[in-house]
Amino acid sequence: MPQLKAPTRFLLRGSALLIGLLILWWLVLLDPMLSALKGAGDIAASLIFGGNSSEFMREDSSRNWTFRVPTKIIVPASRVMPMAQQINSIDFDVARTDVISFTFSLPVFWAVVLAVPGWRRNLRPFLAGTGLIALVELLLLLTFAATSAHRAAAAMLSTRMGAFESWLLRFSDYVTVLVVPYLAPIVVAFAVHPELRSGVLGWTSQDKQPSARSSSNGNLSVAAGNSRKSVRS
Amino acid sequence: MNTNSRLKVPAAGRNIRPVRFALLFFCCFVLGIAVLLIPPVQSVDLQFTQGLVALAHQIITVCGGHATRQGAILRSPGGFGVEMRDGCNAVNVTILLCSAVFAFPAAWKMKVLGIVGGAAIIQLVNLFRFITLFYLGQYSLPWFDFAHAYLWESLIVLDTTVVFWYWVNHVLRSATVSKTPASNASA
Repeated sequence: MPQLKAPTRFLLRGSALLIGLLILWWLVLLDPMLSALKGAGDIAASLIFGGNSSEFMREDSSRNWTFRVPTKIIVPASRVMPMAQQINSIDFDVARTDVISFTFSLPVFWAVVLAVPGWRRNLRPFLAGTGLIALVELLLLLTFAATSAHRAAAAMLSTRMGAFESWLLRFSDYVTVLVVPYLAPIVVAFAVHPELRSGVLGWTSQDKQPSARSSSNGNLSVAAGNSRKSVRS
Repeated sequence: MNTNSRLKVPAAGRNIRPVRFALLFFCCFVLGIAVLLIPPVQSVDLQFTQGLVALAHQIITVCGGHATRQGAILRSPGGFGVEMRDGCNAVNVTILLCSAVFAFPAAWKMKVLGIVGGAAIIQLVNLFRFITLFYLGQYSLPWFDFAHAYLWESLIVLDTTVVFWYWVNHVLRSATVSKTPASNASA
């Protein structure tokens, strides 16, 4: 039986792992991951936005999420509200399906890294990438909360957004919800897994895998980084 | 060490500069997404999406299935409808592939081949995805949500990576072949 090419093997292994790990995530890991995201989100939000650390995100009875972003704005007097009013925070609801998208990059990343042959060699990239992806997901959640709060504040103040501001908010939403959660696992896998990077892109890290050239005296000339040493073969 | 269990590194790719590739890829991708979200481009994107749904409708009809189409919405006789929206038409992953191909050092002819061929493969996979989702949605809505938002999206990104991998292999093999006669002649 002819051996499959490396990209085909990677695709088959990756697809099988992706299906398995995403089903595991959907059925088992999702709730613990959302709890972890809430814990990390509360701490990070209190550091970035200020305010009480336990109030940033909470799940309601319908399993959707309510976010509270501390923002000081003064809503001017209007016909509906005769007195100007100071608002210290903006609350908004986010559907569960939207919050879930900030946890699903992890199983995708695991599938991509584990699709590379060699379980032992994958261990270090697996651990390093898991940490990186968790950080990316947290940053995406905070960006999403900040842009949603900005949009809600503009609606409360009845401020008309300019074409560029509207485009920028749409761009931010598109990137945080539709692009980065899907792209980050691949990019991080390439960043932390030298073997995957060299296999796909065809380059090697010269520091780790020195290229050998034959020299005129029959010795091997090894180029490692900027230094070159002669060794006897 | 078992060499079969390692990913092989083509020799011709050792002169590629990783930082240049990463920067160029990132800039192209962000620019591509930014352009995609400009209102005039969005109207073209919508027409393209409707064209894809029309094609999916044709395929279903030719294969003996039953569906009706209304703009970018495909409906089953049972009442289930699925709408292809922005982000479901695989334009973003096509931009991803184009950025990677553009950033990779290769001849322009190769780049055009990679972009046209790769985009065609991605759109074919996406058409298959849309049709499977149309039937899955009639069977189970929770599994439709799972497959639509997470599974198929990730699989398409993985497919795009593999399409790019095949293209890089092709580029590096061509570079090796084109270098071989010259090195033989000088030997």
